[in-house]
Amino acid sequence: MEQLLNSVPSWTNVAIFFGLGAALLLMVLAFVTYGILAERKVMGFMQGRYGPNQVGGRWGLLQTVADVLKLLLKEDTIPKAADRPLFILAPILAFAPAFMVLAVLPFTDAFQFADIGVGLLYYIAVSGLTTIGVVTGGWASNNKYALIGGMRAAAQMISYEIPLVMSVLGVVLLTGSLNLNDIVEAQKNVWYIFTQPVAFIVFLIAAVSELNRTPFDLPEAESELVAGFHVEYSGFRWAFFMLAEYVYLFAMAALTTILFLGGWHPVMFLGFIPGPVWFALKFSVVVFVLIWFRATFPRLRADQLMELGWKVLFPVALANIFVTALVKELFF
Amino acid sequence: MSGEYLAFLALALVAITGGVLMLNLTKVVHMVIALVFTFISIAGLYVLLSAEFVAVVQVLIYSGAVTIMMLFGIMLTRHQEEEGEKTTTGGFWRKALTAIAVFAFGIAVYLGVYRLDFGEEGARLHENNTEQIGMALYSHYTIPFEIASVILLVALVGAIILAKKDDEGAPKS
Repeated sequence: MEQLLNSVPSWTNVAIFFGLGAALLLMVLAFVTYGILAERKVMGFMQGRYGPNQVGGRWGLLQTVADVLKLLLKEDTIPKAADRPLFILAPILAFAPAFMVLAVLPFTDAFQFADIGVGLLYYIAVSGLTTIGVVTGGWASNNKYALIGGMRAAAQMISYEIPLVMSVLGVVLLTGSLNLNDIVEAQKNVWYIFTQPVAFIVFLIAAVSELNRTPFDLPEAESELVAGFHVEYSGFRWAFFMLAEYVYLFAMAALTTILFLGGWHPVMFLGFIPGPVWFALKFSVVVFVLIWFRATFPRLRADQLMELGWKVLFPVALANIFVTALVKELFF
Repeated sequence: MSGEYLAFLALALVAITGGVLMLNLTKVVHMVIALVFTFISIAGLYVLLSAEFVAVVQVLIYSGAVTIMMLFGIMLTRHQEEEGEKTTTGGFWRKALTAIAVFAFGIAVYLGVYRLDFGEEGARLHENNTEQIGMALYSHYTIPFEIASVILLVALVGAIILAKKDDEGAPKS
């Protein structure tokens, strides 16, 4: 990959990168398919029911495939009073950044696409663009519930992006780099979850909020807003919004693994198990925790959400940066 | 015809198209979306200049800023489309003067860009530019940086006070 990145540009390179990108997209789609199934199964288990168990054998292995097929065949409706160009553009605006973000994530030391110096900032910056798609979709639908959902998404993104960045700054301070490879390398002996526990907790809460998942799923609160910002969407445009959401779940779980759980580094004594397996294990644990949150927490009210973001997470993250800077100055 | 040139052409085209659309569209939300395309392609131009930190910060700041602007656009403007008469008023001389001014500005910018000379020291700026920006900001330009943060703080406090004043007139709940 390294020599490929430094080679002279040519059409062969374009073809190679296109192929690699398509392969990654297929991999992510496979994750999304089985991630959704896993979510429904785990939630079913936690709520004392079976979950999908009809399509594709006892474990419902083809349930999501059938759902996607149904979505593809569905009629694609665009409301008469909707703002047509923006209504069409919005799902694309929401999904494209979700996939762009994956480019900088180092899954293992060999399996990564772009090793850029500001990888961490790139992730946070580009993931913020999805909110524009969500607000656009909410506005273009010309529906009050959709608009409220979009507004909530914007408010939530603005207030939780700050604690997210602030909590990560502790890790950046200790590593001395924004490059995700350097951050993983710095965790060779001790993972940052042990040296930066406060940052980890703030990051996890802010991450769940950025993902718009329960307990922070106000933009798509079914019981208040019918379905949130995508009420008017159907068929494959709706699937694009869902896809963006689950690709972000993938990306955020991978980012948590990279930042706090040591990426592909093994637990001590167990170095004979290869790096990709370790990454997959840690990644699955993070995904499971996120599903667990969804099954167990009640939804917050809008004012509680703002209060938690600005009055709890923000000061805690600031204090964490201050303490980290002090410790680094005094003891390292 | 290198890859960089093609990328520049594509990004510049998107940036200019976004800008022109922003001026020509009638609905506020459409304008904001056009603006998004301009800002993102400008970030792409920064990447071409190897200023990756500036590019990423451009996206980070403007994605939030644009979202907020869109909310204001939605909340503070009327939604009934007013297709007002759009014929430009003003006589021949006014139009001619405007045209001359536009051309003069274009020529001035063109000449300015071609005469621009950054000297020799720019050659190594692209290596580790995040670190270099940090070093410069916190060693040579600390006081301007701090003053900027004080101004932002004043703006924040001012906004809170302005927003609070509205409340006093309303009955207390």
